[in-house]
Amino acid sequence: MSDFFSLQILTAGGLIGAAAGLLGSFALLRRMALVGDALSHVALPGIALAIIFNVDPLLGAFAFLVLGTAGIWFIEHKTKLPVDTLVGIFFALALAIGAILASEEELLDALFGDITRLTQFEAIAAILISLFISFALILLSRKFTLTMISTDLARSTGLSPHRLEFVFLLIFALTVAVGIKFGGALLTGSLVVIPAATARNLTRSMNSYLTLSVILGFASAVLGIFISVLYGFAPGPTFVLISGAIFFLSVFFRR
Amino acid sequence: MYNGRTELKQVMSVLEVKNLNVSYGASSVLEGVSFSLDKGDALAVIGPNGSGKTTLFKAILGAMPYEGEIKIAPGARIGYVPQKLDLERDLPITVREFLLLRRQAKTAKTHSSEEALRLVGLKEEFLKKKLGELSSGEFQRVLIAFALIDRPELLLFDEPTASVDIAGQETVYELLNRLQKIEGLTLLLISHELSVVYRYANKVLCLNHAQICFGVPYEVLTPQELAKLYGGGTGKFYQHGGH
Repeated sequence: MSDFFSLQILTAGGLIGAAAGLLGSFALLRRMALVGDALSHVALPGIALAIIFNVDPLLGAFAFLVLGTAGIWFIEHKTKLPVDTLVGIFFALALAIGAILASEEELLDALFGDITRLTQFEAIAAILISLFISFALILLSRKFTLTMISTDLARSTGLSPHRLEFVFLLIFALTVAVGIKFGGALLTGSLVVIPAATARNLTRSMNSYLTLSVILGFASAVLGIFISVLYGFAPGPTFVLISGAIFFLSVFFRR
Repeated sequence: MYNGRTELKQVMSVLEVKNLNVSYGASSVLEGVSFSLDKGDALAVIGPNGSGKTTLFKAILGAMPYEGEIKIAPGARIGYVPQKLDLERDLPITVREFLLLRRQAKTAKTHSSEEALRLVGLKEEFLKKKLGELSSGEFQRVLIAFALIDRPELLLFDEPTASVDIAGQETVYELLNRLQKIEGLTLLLISHELSVVYRYANKVLCLNHAQICFGVPYEVLTPQELAKLYGGGTGKFYQHGGH
């Protein structure tokens, strides 16, 4: 691996971690922690189909994620069923379809991801998409925060919570699509949940909460990739171990 | 001349509700509710638990599909103080940050966070506090401050079932009464106490799914109407909010 290329991978990984951390800090305002896990499973059949038809897996993943998110959002508003019930069903369905479509070797890759095997094109795409996600979240941060805290209050200020929730889910889907190369279908949810959960333990204001989520996401990702390359571990699980360790430490410093 | 007067009245009306119907699935929550609010009015909405009071608020906020008409004066802003907000204690957000969420666009007309807190009788130090650390009385005041930030014309106030007043300070109704005067607010409040209605409201709306009465409290709140509203003995209600 050339130095330039590994720098690209590190940048891509760090920025994915930062974007996912930022997204997670909004998701945790409304107990949406497991949405990331569910969505990353929904991506699986998309990846499998993309491999079969020889398209970029990122595209396949994103297409399925948008379908899955729109499906969940639509059924939720039509049936008033709790989101976690729907997510639980979509999640199992997608995993089953993915498992049938993908070969065993592809499946392992899709389940755990491996960011060190990004192509140059994929690395650059991941960098740009992560930056886009972060900017979009920052731009809409007040609106998202208010909607997450109380839809009624949001509505009283003239916002449209229903539409904002959909935009948030789309950004969520995009984050999972770009994160899936890093954490795979099984661990991508951790990119969203762990840094934000740690930041929440350590901060008292929204500003520091968002900032720390980004820093923790970025740092754990870079450190995870670095250590995994050094010792030959898989990067996704290494990230989870590092950020998980920081989370447990943070429990003792809750504010 | 008669025509001129109705026209004038239409201009002054901040909120007009005509033949409002709301239902959850097959069961009807509100039936044929009609009333209007002029600038500076204080309307108390009363009725037993589950009579559709909060639903009425949600319909006005556009949070619930309805049939009929809800007309809000063009350009009028609505402030909303919910009965409660299920906030997690560890939510990392300060009072200052929370108040800033209301101000989507900064114009000369909006209150600063400091001004908004002063209006509800809280000191500036509260800006740095975490939302989850406030007592329920303080939190309610912050919610009122939040509603006031962009100087709304209409304030919807859903009273908590248990009193959250801060000992030694003006009650929340004294506060609302004062704000109504200095901010020129039109008030729509859900109340659980009849004494409040007589003291602070110039109009009253009695709901029990259907509209039982609407008008000036001393005129429409007859024992018969109250019996119809609360189903028999009203003694319980006179004591304390029907609990």
